[in-house]
Formats: sequence, structure tokens, C-alpha cells
Amino acid sequence: MLRLPIEARKNWQQMARDYGFHFHTMHGQPYWDETAYYQFNLQQIERDLEAPTEEIHQMCLHVVDLVSKSEERLSQFAIPSDYWQAIADSWQAKEPSLYSRLDFVYDGKTPAKLLENNADTPTSLYESGFWQWLWLENNVDNNKLSKRADQFNSLQEKLVNRLKVIADYYGINYLHFACCKDTDEDRGTVQYLQDCAKEAGLDDYFCYIEDIGLGVGGELTDLQDQVISHCFKLYPWEFMQREEFGPHALKANTAWVEPIWKTILSNKALLPMLWKEFEGHPNLLPAFFETDIASMNALSGIKKWVKKPLYSREGANIDILENGKMSLSSDGPYGEEGFIYQAHTPLPKFADNYTLIGSWLVDDEAAGISVREDKSPITQDLSRYMPHIIL
Amino acid sequence: MQTNVKQKRSSSINLSKMRKAFSFKPLALGVATVFLSACSGGKEEALVFKTADECADALPDMAQQCQTAYEGALAEAAKTAPKYNTKNDCEYEFGANQCQTYNNNGSSIFMPLMAGYMIGNLLAPRPYYQPMFTSYSRYSPYRNHWIGADGRDFGDTRKRTLNVRPSAFDKKPAVTRTMQRGGFGSSVRAKASWGSKSSKGWGG
Repeated sequence: MLRLPIEARKNWQQMARDYGFHFHTMHGQPYWDETAYYQFNLQQIERDLEAPTEEIHQMCLHVVDLVSKSEERLSQFAIPSDYWQAIADSWQAKEPSLYSRLDFVYDGKTPAKLLENNADTPTSLYESGFWQWLWLENNVDNNKLSKRADQFNSLQEKLVNRLKVIADYYGINYLHFACCKDTDEDRGTVQYLQDCAKEAGLDDYFCYIEDIGLGVGGELTDLQDQVISHCFKLYPWEFMQREEFGPHALKANTAWVEPIWKTILSNKALLPMLWKEFEGHPNLLPAFFETDIASMNALSGIKKWVKKPLYSREGANIDILENGKMSLSSDGPYGEEGFIYQAHTPLPKFADNYTLIGSWLVDDEAAGISVREDKSPITQDLSRYMPHIIL
Repeated sequence: MQTNVKQKRSSSINLSKMRKAFSFKPLALGVATVFLSACSGGKEEALVFKTADECADALPDMAQQCQTAYEGALAEAAKTAPKYNTKNDCEYEFGANQCQTYNNNGSSIFMPLMAGYMIGNLLAPRPYYQPMFTSYSRYSPYRNHWIGADGRDFGDTRKRTLNVRPSAFDKKPAVTRTMQRGGFGSSVRAKASWGSKSSKGWGG
């Protein structure tokens, strides 16, 4: 695993405009950065990332099975009780999932360690599935990279195929898509999935989350008053479950992608549950519930813990505790539902950057990786996206 | 023996489908008229002509329908063609001298010239039609492609017979009356007010 410099493609910003990649610069800072790339060998990809990704996913499904059947666990996960039955039903019916992203600490040498599972609303999909793919093709065509260079990235192919499977499952030939207003990044991610849906032969309709309406018959509607019968939503279940229309998300009989059973996976309580069920697994970090500080303190050898809210995204509200003392923290609006503790493991450093690997799943198949860099050891939303190759 | 190692990336991506409509976002975007009836499940054939004469030459029996459809398409183009504030923006997308002024309640805006029209369901008493545009701009992904008013790409302009999917009539969602909106999104309003990161998404 190496970080290597490379010349940026001369026309990349023009290409970004042609292809509708509008969020390559955010908050005035570069987000897409092609002045360097990461190089992995095939063994690092297949043995250290691909295989563990699929294995951890199966372990996660085991946890979904346990938690969906236990009222005690569901309340420990801070899931509102009105949604327990729907979660159990959705899981029993095996409602199809589209995709997830596991975040790993990985240095190219030691086993990758799972930091968290973004199972409900993962972003950076477009830049992973399409944009870094195009970067590789261009650089190979221009002889800037070896003809043998490959990339761990079958995302787009798999997404298109999976959307066909989901369409078959529900017997549909159209699908609604929704995300929040005022965010180029989320809109771009959803537009990408709309493109994949078109490729899968589906008609696509879009509606902002804030614009969703309630029809006279209890259906959810878009701005054209069309019934939203099946919907991909880039909006967290834990938000929906706490909002006015939350109960209607169930009563309206709308089929959701991701399905509601993913509520269990997009929750940091997953981490102590995984540790409880698979303690000592080489790809897991020790993790505990707040109520289990005793077990945590009994583990000798770990001096540093990360305190994470059950619900949070992009590194918000993360505290690092050193010998019981807080040493580094990030602000944020999360935490009211409780916290978990996870053993701290430092992100590897490549040329002054802390590097985080996102490993994608489409349904239960590993589908590629994304590499992000940050100047701070807590990866937040100002981190930069770097392309990668396999050689 | 096996030398063809399995590639770990998507084998091919259709780049023309990944290109996005119009480099400059038009002020208004037309909704393409429904031009084909849904009489079969498969694709139907539609023809594209640059002018009414060209149509009549190809279909001598239908000269009258060619003329009617051409005039209809022109009127439709005025309503649905992408509109731009400045001639520059329009020409950037469609090429030099490819834009005309459109009078919009006294102020001038700009739209591309109709490059041709698509005509379908030819044997019916009233064939369906819609205006087609193309771009001569080297900055545009649509260069030498037929495009509909809504930015839909129909492929190379040398192609005159298009296989089009019949209208989405039979597969549209049901329509109902909406009583109330805004029941989703309150969490985002609450959390966004905490920081300055409003342009950041809620994914992870």
C-alpha cells in the first residue's frame, strides 16, 4: 500500500462539469484530489479487504437476526418501539437491501479493523463507482499508469444488477428517489443511483424528502401527487422514525430501499454487539455499551477508547479518552440517544495524511473501495477523496 | 495456464449515458411530449427528419401529415426548448449561430433552433411528433446527437430511424390528492442549525 504522486488530468474540471460531478470542491476546499493515488497489491485487496468485508457483513446479519427478535436489544439500540414490529417483519420477509459501506483502519500490513458500518445512507458512491473508474481509464489511456493497473471497483456494474433484482422482487418498472434539499453531495449520490436505475431499465422519479406529501388515502406522494409506492431514500431511518410522517412511512405501505431492518446496522450499538458475538475476531475492535464499563476496564492493554454516539455521521461528536481522560473531541449535534466505547486504533499516516478505507458492499458482495484522507485523525466531512489502483 | 486474471473493476461503463444534460442549466426545461402510444410492450420505431420536405420525400403518401407534424413540432419547440438568459450560454451548449431570441413577456431569452422533428405512430390517423435539437458546440456532450427538449439523448444525428420505448403511460405511479406536506425533514432542520455545514449531506 503506497501513496504515489501523479499529475492531475488537464481537463478534469471540464469533464466533471460534463458528467455532472458538482461537489468536487466543498466549503472552498478540494474534496476530489487526484494529485496522488493509493496503490494496493492484489493480495491486500482480496485477502485483507474483500474477504473480511463479506465476512463482516454476514456477522452483521447475524446481529440483525438477534436484535430484531429481542425487545431488550431493540431498546438498547434506542430504536423507538413503534418500529420494532416493522423491523422484525421486514427482516423476516428478507426485504432486499441495495448497498452499504464498511469503514476500515488499514495500513497494508496488519488486519483491517472495522470502525463502523454505514448501512443505511452511505455517500461517496458516485466518486467511487464512476469517477475514480474514469480517472483510471483516462490515465491508462494516456500512458500515465500501467496497462496492467486495475481497481477494486465493480460498484456500478453491481448496483445496476442489484436494482434489476430489487425491481423483480417488487414487480416494479419504476422507482422513486428522495434526499434532502440544499446538499449537492446527497443529490449527486441519488442522481447517480437514478442513472443506475435507468441502466437497469427502470423509470425514475425524484422528490425531496421535505416535499413528500400525505395523500387522502394515507399514501405518500411526490410533488406531482403521484403515489410513492417504492422509494430509495438517502435519508436516515433514525430521522424518519422521529418525524411527523414516520408512522406513515409504514402505514402507507411504501417499500423502502434501504429496508427498515437496516436501522439495526446503521447504529453504533452494532459495534459492541459484534464484539459480544465474535469477540477476538481479527477485523473487530473491542467495543462496549456504556452500561458495560466494567468489562471495558477489565481489558488490560487498551489505554485509549473512542466514545461514539449511537447515532452520528461523519465523525461528529467523537471523543477520544486516554486513561479515562478526554484528549481529542469533535463537536456535533449527536449523542442524545447514548454512546458506545470502541478501542482506539490510530489511522495509518501516509505523507502527513490520515487514511481511511471505505469498503463497499452491494447486497452481500464486496464491490470496491474508496480511500479518504484527512489532516486530522478523526475523519470528518472535509476529508479528501483519493483514487486508487491495484498493481 | 490461466493468464486472464479476473478484472476487479466494472468492465465497461457507457460514458455517453453518464453525461449530464446541458452544461449550463437552462432557465426552463421542457417536458418531452408523449409521442408514441403504448400499443405494445416493446420498442417502437420513430423517424427523424430535418424538414417537412425531407419527410415528404421519404414518405410521399404522407406529405400532408409531414407538414402538420412539422408545424406542430415548431410550436412545441417554442414552448419546450431549453431557455437561456444569455446568448452566450445558449451558444456554448448548441454552437455559434444555433440560437434564436425568444420573447418572454417583453424580455428576451434564448433558445436553440429546432434541428429536426421526430415522428412516430405513422400509420395512425394522427401521428405523434416532437421537436429535436442538436449541438454543434465542441464543448457539448451533445455534439452531433439528437436531443429532446428535456435533454434526452437519442444518439448520433446520422441515425434517422430511432427505436423508442413507448410512452411511460402504462407504468406511471397512481395519482392521488395530497392533503399535507413537510412531515419529513425536521431532524435535518434541527441538526443543521447547530453548525455551518449546511451544504453537507446527511449520508455518511
